[in-house]
Amino acid sequence: MTLTETQARVHEAITSGAELARVRIEGCVADTPVLSARESLEIYANMYLCRLVRALQETFPNLARHLGDESFASLAERYLRRHPSEHHDVGQVGRLLPNFLRQNPDPERPWLRDLAELEWARNEIFFAPAPRSVAAGALAAIPLESADRARLVLSPAMQVLVLEHAVTSFWEASADGNHPAPPKAGRSPAAVWRSGFQVHHCPLQADEALALEMARHGESLGRVCATFADREDPSAAASGAIASWFAEGWVVGVESAGIERT
Amino acid sequence: MAFQRLDLGHGIGLRTKHFPQFDSEPSPADWVEVVTENFMAEGGRPIALLEKVRRDTPVVLHGVSLSIGSTDPLSARYLDDLDRLVARIEPAMVTDHLCWGTWRGRYVHDLLPLPYTEETLAHVSSRVASLQDRLGRQILLENPSSYMAYRDSTMTEWEFLAALSLRADCGILLDVNNVYVSANNLGFDPIEYLNGIPPDRVGQFHLAGHSDKGNYLLDTHDAPVPPPVWELYREALRRFGRVPTLVEWDDRIPPLVELVAESRHAEDVEMEELGSVLRSLAS
Repeated sequence: MTLTETQARVHEAITSGAELARVRIEGCVADTPVLSARESLEIYANMYLCRLVRALQETFPNLARHLGDESFASLAERYLRRHPSEHHDVGQVGRLLPNFLRQNPDPERPWLRDLAELEWARNEIFFAPAPRSVAAGALAAIPLESADRARLVLSPAMQVLVLEHAVTSFWEASADGNHPAPPKAGRSPAAVWRSGFQVHHCPLQADEALALEMARHGESLGRVCATFADREDPSAAASGAIASWFAEGWVVGVESAGIERT
Repeated sequence: MAFQRLDLGHGIGLRTKHFPQFDSEPSPADWVEVVTENFMAEGGRPIALLEKVRRDTPVVLHGVSLSIGSTDPLSARYLDDLDRLVARIEPAMVTDHLCWGTWRGRYVHDLLPLPYTEETLAHVSSRVASLQDRLGRQILLENPSSYMAYRDSTMTEWEFLAALSLRADCGILLDVNNVYVSANNLGFDPIEYLNGIPPDRVGQFHLAGHSDKGNYLLDTHDAPVPPPVWELYREALRRFGRVPTLVEWDDRIPPLVELVAESRHAEDVEMEELGSVLRSLAS
């Protein structure tokens, strides 16, 4: 048997869980003084699942805590059969789990997909590059007449999520070891960001989430501020929100008329 | 060509649990090893801490996903990430495993043993040589712990490693615990294994704990180095001399002080075995 054929059969035997796949390779594996060929393959098959389930538990700690070991392992196994790891970093194996839960929702707990999305975002933010943030003074340095056309550059270590359930407080309660009530349904934007090496998240108002998304896509400060038009005092709301973005370190640059100020 | 063994001393793994101490105190070991793939991200705490540690401590990169023995092409994405990390950290050594772990782009995230044949030797040798050309440096490959042997194998693992190191001109990372575990599981003599490894190719030792599963041993890295592995380490020292040595502990990781004590014990064992030679060299 060639090396390619051997690897194809061993891979199938270890990852598919299928009895037939093990039978197909058993003849190529030698019995040892302490292990039969079948036992040898079972050790690797068990380690394959255990290692990846554990990686998923580390990435989705509160989803795993809520489901419990058995239920989470069952979900993980179904997910892994559909989405085997395609990245050299085992920490990336959960990248598609939020989508998997969206496509295969738990009818009684549709919010699990949002919890998974929040936890995946927290994982991504933990490893994101984080350029030095700028102070609000960078904005003050822009001439008043061109302020509307200025653009904010947001940190790659900050994401806006638009969730369908209010899972942010659920996550916090669960992380504290509590068993919170299921999160309520409803459009629930949230920000996830890193400060130093700590990852944070918080709920956002819908208009602020939209403003941040517009800023992310390079819209002018004038258009970003216009998203607060429905507030009682739009100007105060916009300036308050933008001041908080600077304070949290979400802004890493201010661009005006082609000049970047950082 | 020759393989140049470095004189690094005794190292420990830099693991997440000990990040706060490495962040606030000088490194307690002569050198540190990191799992390469855990530090390939462009940002975040791990790489920032590693850059800090690297300022005054040698760092060894130890990969688990190169999959040098797979018949898949080497992953371009992986090699790009490795290039970037090597340039950023300037490690003392770049190491990985003699194994395969991918099939058609899918990662098993395990260190699967290879059938030891001429076909495999030619395949792995050419890939090691091409990787070394790309990196502009020699790499070291570690013997895996095994629970499986192939009927097709025409040579022993030590014969394969010896031939590979010469043909590809690479170094050997000799994991003493893995030799012990595989010897138990596959039924060979660990001393015969050591005697089959060319001394001038060994660039690093690994020591670790394992678990007794009843009829076989599992390489778990979750316990102190057990007495039989210390004994085999003494044999390795007598055959190979002073070699940079790492104590691996990857699960149920103890407090840093305990890990450092295990590393210091390895240093004591080395001194007991090689003390007279080392003292005469120093004088």
